[in-house]
Amino acid sequence: MKIKFKWMALAMLLATFIISGCSSSGDAEYPSKNIEIIAPATPGGGWDATARAIQNVLDKEGIVEQNMNVVNKPGGGGEVGWQYLKGKDAHDISVNSSLVIANNLLGQSELTYEDFTPLAILATEWISIAVPEKSDIEDGIDLLDRLKEDPASLTIAVGPALGNNDHLSFVRVAEEYGVDVSKLRFLVYESGGDVLTALLGGHVDLATFSLSESLEQNEAGNIRVLATTADETIDGIPSWQDQGIDFTFPHWRGLMGPPDMTEEEIAYWDNALSEMVETEGWKNVLENNGWDNYYMNSKETKAFLDEQNEMYKELIDKAGLGN
Amino acid sequence: MGVDWGSFAEGFSTAIQFENLIFIVIGGLLGTIVGMLPGLGPATAVAVLIPVTFGMEPTSALILLGAIYYGAMYGGSRSSILINTPGDGSAIAATFDGYPMTRKGQAGQALTLATLASLVGGFIAMIGFVFLAQPLAQFALKFGPAEYFFLLLFTLSAVVSLSKGNMLKGFISMFLGLLITTIGIDSQSGVYRFTFGVPHLSEGVDFLVVIIGIYAVGEVLYNILLLKDDSYRIKEDVGNKWITKEQFKRSFWPALRQSPVGFLIGILPGAGGSIASMISYSTEQQLSKKSDEFGKGAPEGLAAPESSNNAAAVGAFIPLLTMGIPGSGTTAVILGALIMLGLQPGPMLFQNQPEVVWTFVNSLFIGNIALVIMNILLIGFLIKILKTPANILYPIILLLAFIGTYTLGYSTIDFFILMIFGVIGLFMKILNIPSAPLILAVIIGNQLEQNFRMASVSYDSVFGMMTASPIAIFFVIITVLSVFLPMLLNRLARIKR
Repeated sequence: MKIKFKWMALAMLLATFIISGCSSSGDAEYPSKNIEIIAPATPGGGWDATARAIQNVLDKEGIVEQNMNVVNKPGGGGEVGWQYLKGKDAHDISVNSSLVIANNLLGQSELTYEDFTPLAILATEWISIAVPEKSDIEDGIDLLDRLKEDPASLTIAVGPALGNNDHLSFVRVAEEYGVDVSKLRFLVYESGGDVLTALLGGHVDLATFSLSESLEQNEAGNIRVLATTADETIDGIPSWQDQGIDFTFPHWRGLMGPPDMTEEEIAYWDNALSEMVETEGWKNVLENNGWDNYYMNSKETKAFLDEQNEMYKELIDKAGLGN
Repeated sequence: MGVDWGSFAEGFSTAIQFENLIFIVIGGLLGTIVGMLPGLGPATAVAVLIPVTFGMEPTSALILLGAIYYGAMYGGSRSSILINTPGDGSAIAATFDGYPMTRKGQAGQALTLATLASLVGGFIAMIGFVFLAQPLAQFALKFGPAEYFFLLLFTLSAVVSLSKGNMLKGFISMFLGLLITTIGIDSQSGVYRFTFGVPHLSEGVDFLVVIIGIYAVGEVLYNILLLKDDSYRIKEDVGNKWITKEQFKRSFWPALRQSPVGFLIGILPGAGGSIASMISYSTEQQLSKKSDEFGKGAPEGLAAPESSNNAAAVGAFIPLLTMGIPGSGTTAVILGALIMLGLQPGPMLFQNQPEVVWTFVNSLFIGNIALVIMNILLIGFLIKILKTPANILYPIILLLAFIGTYTLGYSTIDFFILMIFGVIGLFMKILNIPSAPLILAVIIGNQLEQNFRMASVSYDSVFGMMTASPIAIFFVIITVLSVFLPMLLNRLARIKR
């Protein structure tokens, strides 16, 4: 025990030196101290992976000179982390996704996307619709036809919560095709991995989950992906557009800062992030995770978020989930 | 499917490269240390150390992460045995007989026994992995909502039936646990239940906070109350390190036969070490001729769950590596790390990069042996903890409990929850209510409910659920047996008398 104490004391001392050393640099120019990248989730998930990848690339490529730390603030589908961000200055930025819009519309949060300063949209995934290998459903249109006839005839796996992109994107396609979406039978699993397991075991008739999670099993011939929400054919898998339905739906990830950031602070991130997305390091990150580049600068992001907000409002109403 | 011995041999030679051996030892040691701390289980240990692997060779990174995971599994039972505070859910069963052994002055033997039992579990599971990975992965897929529901129900009933002669207290404990799991967002409907507007509660109460509260904090509070009572003090004599012939004899078969049980449960996504060790403990108690000694320091009561949860840890890698599906919290974290490193676990991994898989499996073999050596060497150091004066030891445990809790959710709200459960734990000890049913209910309660709800969408009636598949029928039958058989046998024994 004694030995442990010595080490702990030493570590604390060291930490104190490091922290005091870094904050002693002048505070005239932004950023003037350590930067915190908030991952509003536990280590190991998608948001965490995004935050750590951003930190890693910005640091390795020397784009941001300040020290950057990833802090995990999990809970409430981003709520806990974003509440934390709201009370911080411009040295904190957070990873986000469409939940920053949807949480409020679903009545699960007081926060809206307008409470924060949009900095960028960085990457997107696409969402896939898949059936077990032995299913007799032929393609996307065949699926929608069956649901149009009897919306309760098939069980649909989704995870981890109703109102997420996977769920809403399917509701939107079905609704546009004329399916009575209020009668659809969703089974809500804990994660995308569980959705895949249920599909492989044939415990559900179809599943809606991200393409990066379904691609490999599709190639191995264990499941069949019928359609994606992308704007083009990916690895031979037709998109909804390819099947004659005019519909795309990105599952994007972006960055935002606390309220009321100054012009200079926003410009700093526009520079840094536009440089980051061009690096080899970032391209590797996209490739490994099965993401597509979807970069938008702060201005474009603002307009995009307004647009998304309108779309989600409509969707959530139609799915019968709004308050 | 035959075993690809060429890749196996290649994997072995990669795993014993000097660099990789170093990673095995470092990872095992780090994992053991982190695993011993209350609340810091394998998942946290791996997650915290992921950034270390950036820039490493993917195979070496996998070896390091595997070693940390494994080390934490070994370490978890250390604190259960010595100070009655499990590091993680899967180490709870080690408190049942491990801590009583310590109280009897057999701490050294308990630690050795747990280590050796873990080795047995790990070895048998790895043999299973090498020969049966693919077919077993297919078997695991047969578990749908109905099958999971009845498996979980069986686990609960098995643990409640442990509280022999006092089923009522067991049920009270279980219901309290189930009540706790209703806190948080309900996945199937998206409704918030009992969150009182606190966003942190939307994810429910973390079962690890409950464990740390009831065990670590509750234990400290209880001991502080009894500090002056000398009869309660642990004997200074910590006993021999080496297990006796009798202890070996009594625990050999239980450890051996519970390994496959743990292995199979580990393969099921979502089940894992906590469930495996509980089922193994309760079945051994039912089977044992000396079942009265369970809970009072029976060596087989420690060996069975320890071999079982280690086997489950290996089993959990099967769905991860063969299908890209993480079967436990820890493997989910490892999956994330592997993707960052550019490896895609899944059906193609065995075909495209078999050497990675086999290097990893071999590193587990080597890691197990290394960990046994390290853990036995550490025993001398660890039992010094028992000689630490209480007025120093208990504040340290409390401090560690708070640190462990903070790392789970990075929220101070958890401190209040921790203290609440500390007090609950204290009263349960005073009233002699068993804590295991509560803890298990908190760990699996949510899954139990969600699977039931999903099953009721898929099947029209409860009867339809029960007859969903042979697996479901099997679990229904053994659930009923586990509750009524002990009662019946009791009756019969009384009539005879």
